[in-house]
Amino acid sequence: MKKLSNILRIVFIIVLALPLALAWLPSEVFEGLVPASLTESGYLKSLFLSFRELSITLAATMVFAMLLSVVLGYVSVLSMRTGRGFANILNAIESIPSILVALFCYAPVSGYLARHSSSASTTMSLIVFVLAATVTTLPEAVRSISIPLSDLYNRKYSLSFRSYGFTKQRILAVLMNTGYMRNTLKRVAADVLLKTLVLDCSFGFIIQLGFGSYGTPAHLSPGALIAAHRDALFEGGQPVLFWLPSVLLIIISVAFLIMLNDTREEDE
Amino acid sequence: MTPISLHNFSIHLGRRTLLRNCDFSVEPESATVIMGPTGAGKSVFLKSIAGILSTQIFTFDGGMKVNGFDAYAGGRKLDFDAWSQIAQSGLVFVPAETAQVMNPSLTLDQNLALLAPGRKTVIEQRLGEYFSLDFSAFARLYPDEVSGGEMQRITLMILLSRSGNLILLDEPTVNLDRNLRKHFVEFLNREILSSKDKTFLMVSHDLDFIKKLTLDQAFMLKDGNIERLASLPEMEGYEKPEAKKGASGTAIELQDVSQTYFKRGIFGERTFTAFKGLNLVFERSTIYGITGPSGCGKSSMIKAILRLMDGTKGRIVMEGSDLVVLKPGETGRDPAAFKPFRRRMTVVQQDSRFSFFPDLSIRDSFRQIAAAGSGGTIEELAANLEKVGLTVSHLDAYPQSLSSGEMKRMDIARALTAKPDILLLDEPFAHIDFETRLHVMEAISEYLAVHATILIVVTHEDFDLRYFVEKSYDFPELVGQFAGE
Repeated sequence: MKKLSNILRIVFIIVLALPLALAWLPSEVFEGLVPASLTESGYLKSLFLSFRELSITLAATMVFAMLLSVVLGYVSVLSMRTGRGFANILNAIESIPSILVALFCYAPVSGYLARHSSSASTTMSLIVFVLAATVTTLPEAVRSISIPLSDLYNRKYSLSFRSYGFTKQRILAVLMNTGYMRNTLKRVAADVLLKTLVLDCSFGFIIQLGFGSYGTPAHLSPGALIAAHRDALFEGGQPVLFWLPSVLLIIISVAFLIMLNDTREEDE
Repeated sequence: MTPISLHNFSIHLGRRTLLRNCDFSVEPESATVIMGPTGAGKSVFLKSIAGILSTQIFTFDGGMKVNGFDAYAGGRKLDFDAWSQIAQSGLVFVPAETAQVMNPSLTLDQNLALLAPGRKTVIEQRLGEYFSLDFSAFARLYPDEVSGGEMQRITLMILLSRSGNLILLDEPTVNLDRNLRKHFVEFLNREILSSKDKTFLMVSHDLDFIKKLTLDQAFMLKDGNIERLASLPEMEGYEKPEAKKGASGTAIELQDVSQTYFKRGIFGERTFTAFKGLNLVFERSTIYGITGPSGCGKSSMIKAILRLMDGTKGRIVMEGSDLVVLKPGETGRDPAAFKPFRRRMTVVQQDSRFSFFPDLSIRDSFRQIAAAGSGGTIEELAANLEKVGLTVSHLDAYPQSLSSGEMKRMDIARALTAKPDILLLDEPFAHIDFETRLHVMEAISEYLAVHATILIVVTHEDFDLRYFVEKSYDFPELVGQFAGE
C-alpha cells in the first residue's frame, strides 16, 4: 500500500514537472490545440523558448549548486576552521537580497552581452545566471548539509568510530552515504530548484519591467513573459497570455514542494 | 472513557512478534508501570500508543483506542486526522532520548515555546526547585551547546509540564545521575502522581526507581505478553570470578589533567572548563567506578583518555608514554606514535545505537570495524553475544531494528571481542534490565578473569556500584568541585 502511494506520488511529481519537458517539443505540435492568436503573434514560440531556458537554468543550477554544496558542507565539517571561514562568507552573501546578487553578477559582463552575437550572449547570460542562482542558494544549501552531517558526526558517531581507528574523513564519507543524508540531499536539491525557479522568474519580471526586453539580455524567462503581458488582465486584453505561464509555473513549483514534503515524511 | 484500551492487539517487527493478541487497558487517572527484559518491546509498545511507530517497519493486528479515539482498527494504523485528534485530546509522550525532541536550529527558549506554549513560568520554577537549574542561563543556547545531562533535565521538565491528561513516559532515568534521580522521583510523586488528575503510563527497567514511585499497578511484558504483577520483583547479585592479575604497578596515571572545550555563546565561542586538577591512578584487574552528577566531566575524562578531545592539559601516562604529548589534539586522524595505543583502547559509549554503521547489518559493520584495527573475528563476536544474552541472528539485524538495550549489549560484546587492554565503559548498563544486566556484568568479569585489563566504568546507578564496581570515585570530589576550587 505504501509502495503504491509512493509510486503514485512519483508519477504525480513527473506529471506536474512535465511542462519543463514538453517545452522541448516543437511548438508547432501544439498549434492546433491553442487559439490561433497565440500562434500568430509568436506568443506560443516565446512561451516554449522561455520554459526551455528555464529547464536548462534549473538543471544547470541544481547540478552546479549541489556539487558545490556537498563539497563545502563536507569540508566545513571536516575542518572546523575552514567551515567557520565558509560560514562567514556565506552569511555575508545571504544578507544581500538575491535579486541584487543577480544584478551584481551581470554587471561585469554587461558589455560582453551587448557586443556579442545572440548565441554567445545567451550562453554567457545563462552561465552568469546559474552562477548568481548558485551563490544565492548556496548558504542555505551548505547549512542544510553541514548541520545534520555535523550532528551525526559530533553527537553520534565520532566517539565510537574514531576509537575504532577510522579517520574523520572516512567516517564523514560513510555518513554522507547514509539514507538520512541522502534524504537530506534530496530535500536540498528540491529547495535549490524552487529557489532558482523563483529567482529566475522574479529576476526576469524585474528586468522586463526595467528594460523592456524578455528577461536578462538574451536570457528568456517565463517571469519576463508574464511581465510583458501584465496588461492582458485589463479590459481588452487576453488574460490567457498572463495566466498560461503563471499557472504552469505554479504547477512546477507544486512538484518541487511535494518533493520537499516527500523527503520529510521519509525522515519521519 | 478508558485512556488506553487494546483489543487483541499485536505488534510485529518483521517475523518477530513483540506483542501478541493483547487485551489490556488502564483506568483513568491511574499510575501504571510496565517492566520487562531488555528488547522485550516495552518502548515499542509505548511508541505504538503514541502513534510514532513507522508502518514501514512494524505491522499490527487488532485494535487500540487512545483517549476514546480509534488509533488502530483491524490491524491498520489510522490516518493523520485520527492521530491529530488523539494528540489534541491530551496525549503527552516523553521519549527515552528526550534531547531528540529538541529542534537543533532553535534555542532552548524557542524550543520551549514550541513544545509547551504558555508553560514557561511553571517549567522555570520546577527546573529550579527539583533540578537546581536556572533556565534563564540556558534560554539562549542551542541544544548542541548544552551537556547531555542538562539537556535531559530541561527536556524532561518541558515535556512533563505540557498540558495533557495522558502521560506516556519511556525509560526516564537513563541519563539521570543518582542525585538527580532522587529529585526526579520527588518531582513525579509530588507534581504528577499525587494529584491523580492524569493517567500515567511508564515503561522502565529501573527497579530502584520504580520502587520509590507511588504507582497503582505494575505489569511485566515478556515473550509478547503483558501480565499483571502481584508485587515488584527482588534483585540478587552474581558470583564474580577473580580477575587475572597483570604486571604490578600503575597501568595508567592521570597527572594534574584538565580539560577545556569550546561553547558557542552570544558573543562568539568561549572556552569552558570541564574539569581541572585531576590526579588519578588506575591499575589493572580492578573495576573502577566513576560517579557524579550529569555534566561534571566524567564523559570528558573518558574522551581525554581516548585522546579524542582538544584542550587537554597535564599528563596521561601509560607505560612511560605521555598520551597527551603523543596526541595533543583531535584532528580527525591519529599520529603514527599514538596508533599502537589506539588499538589497545575500546570504549562503549553512552548511546550504543551509534556504535555501528547506520545502513549496514551488524555483521557487515563489524567486519569493517575489525578491519579498521579494532580486531576480533565474527565467531568471537558470536560467542560474546551468547554471553550477553543475544543470539547469532542479531548479527543480521540493522541497528534501527534493535532496541537500545540490545544495541548496548551488542556494543559490549563488540568491545570484549576486540580484546582491549583498556576498556572504558560510559554508562554501559543503561537501557538494560537488572536480570540481563547481571549476565552482562558476568561476561565482563569473565573477560577480566582472563585478561589483566584496565577497566573504568562511568555509571549513575546504585545497582552497578553495588554488584559490579570494586573501587568507586566521586568525580566532583576528585577534581575539587565541592571544595569550591
